[in-house]
Amino acid sequence: MSFRQRSPHGSTRSSPQHPPRWAQARKRGADGRRRRQNEPESSAFEENKPGPEDGRLDSFTTPEGPGPLSRCLDWGTAVEEDEMRTNVHKEIARHRRKLLINEFSRERKSSSGSSDSKESTVTVELETDEVVLMRRQKQINYGKNTIAYDRYIKEVPRCHRIPGVHPRTPNKFKKYSRRSWDQQIKLWKVALHSWDPPTEGGCDLQEICPVDLCEMETESVGSNSTESQTSCQDNDDTCSGTPTKVRHVDYQAEGEFDLEVCLSEPLKEFDTVS
Amino acid sequence: MGETGKEEYKIQSFDSETQKLLKTALKDPSNVDLEKVANIIVDQSLKDSVFSKEAGRICYTIIQAESKQVGQSIFRRSLLNRLQQEYKDREELRTRSLQAWICYVTFICNIFDYLRVNNMPMMALVNPVYDCLFRLAQPDSLQKEEEVSAGRAADVPVVLPRTCKKHSPGGAEKPPLLCAQHLLFLLKVDCLVLQLHRIGEQLEKMNSQRMDELFSLLRDGFLLQEGLSSLSQLLLLEIIEFRAADWKMTDAAQKYYYSEVTD
Repeated sequence: MSFRQRSPHGSTRSSPQHPPRWAQARKRGADGRRRRQNEPESSAFEENKPGPEDGRLDSFTTPEGPGPLSRCLDWGTAVEEDEMRTNVHKEIARHRRKLLINEFSRERKSSSGSSDSKESTVTVELETDEVVLMRRQKQINYGKNTIAYDRYIKEVPRCHRIPGVHPRTPNKFKKYSRRSWDQQIKLWKVALHSWDPPTEGGCDLQEICPVDLCEMETESVGSNSTESQTSCQDNDDTCSGTPTKVRHVDYQAEGEFDLEVCLSEPLKEFDTVS
Repeated sequence: MGETGKEEYKIQSFDSETQKLLKTALKDPSNVDLEKVANIIVDQSLKDSVFSKEAGRICYTIIQAESKQVGQSIFRRSLLNRLQQEYKDREELRTRSLQAWICYVTFICNIFDYLRVNNMPMMALVNPVYDCLFRLAQPDSLQKEEEVSAGRAADVPVVLPRTCKKHSPGGAEKPPLLCAQHLLFLLKVDCLVLQLHRIGEQLEKMNSQRMDELFSLLRDGFLLQEGLSSLSQLLLLEIIEFRAADWKMTDAAQKYYYSEVTD
């Protein structure tokens, strides 16, 4: 499905024939404003930027700058991209530190004799291309900028997530092919639809399932409930509220951990990670 | 916000309803129309030179408050886009009112100074700021202006220059006031050197080539302008030395420019 349109210079927003379903659940319009739930809005890809009005170059490079700035005639957007770029660089550094800590603690474990077949002590190459990271971050932002995502993280705290059942944000720092990444994003966003706000055509069955599993999960974790609760409390601050990229770095970086490891050594792991 | 708050943000010149709106924007940004607030601030900064010198501060605070409260940046986006609009129409603005133009330059430099992105200045503003400073420094305007707006001499220390021989031919005795053209030029130079004191160092880091060009323009202005008032000369000389000293005040400069010296 392709809803990419560029609105002609000077015209007001044209409404496409049929905005995609996910567009209606978007929390914010393309201009960054929060939308009320039932506001019909055109596709996210519709551009409302006017064409280049003056004779300026589409992109320009300042001598001491980081490189060519993208064609962006709008200061508001340019600064936001700037911000995203610097945030991405911070996240790379942070991610690397976490991997180092992770490796260090693994080495400690294996040297003390415990066997852990999940580990790969091979250092993995990270994705560091800024262009790629920015693109991936934008795609992640589109997914997180939805009412469904908001509802999801409120309903299912990070520590209660079941891998394979609850959607997990793809890790932008891992090396993936373009197709692989795009597919992961697509599947992730589709999975998030389970938390779409109820509409007339809504699927109630989908909404019930996650809740049921959550309840099952708390029951089965009976013995560890105190521990996981304390660690959950720590995470509640980070899990609740409007998601920001920075908060979710922790989560993404924890891609190396899975729930079982979390539960078996909750306090120790969280100490080193958070 | 008591009197200190008003004083800090320089919002005394707004009417009380607007002051209330601004205070709400500072405390509870999600409950105000932030685009409207941005427009109010920009409009005022084009009229009120005192406000334009420090408006960056209130903008910074609102941005932080909004980011903390709802994790958005609607205010910043509206502010920047409005600023960009004015920038696109800056020639008209300048023709319409030199004072408003000077206020605009002061404002955009103040924004550049205060609003940073992850501790870096905003890249998108670097070239526009330079463009504005270049425009301010262009020497052509000395001849063109014929009117003087109601003197902003309150901001500028009045110094008794030599009688303006250039503009009062025949050496007629005139009271020791700056003539219109000189006053206007002085206002521009004053604005220029103030901005360079505040943001020159950062600006140079972002693009040193343009700074070099700007300063050669200033040196030409200093050396080649006929009949420049002594105050203008002094201001230009000081900023040239300031930059030469790596944007720092030296003791010698302090003594020469800023102390009372009886000869």
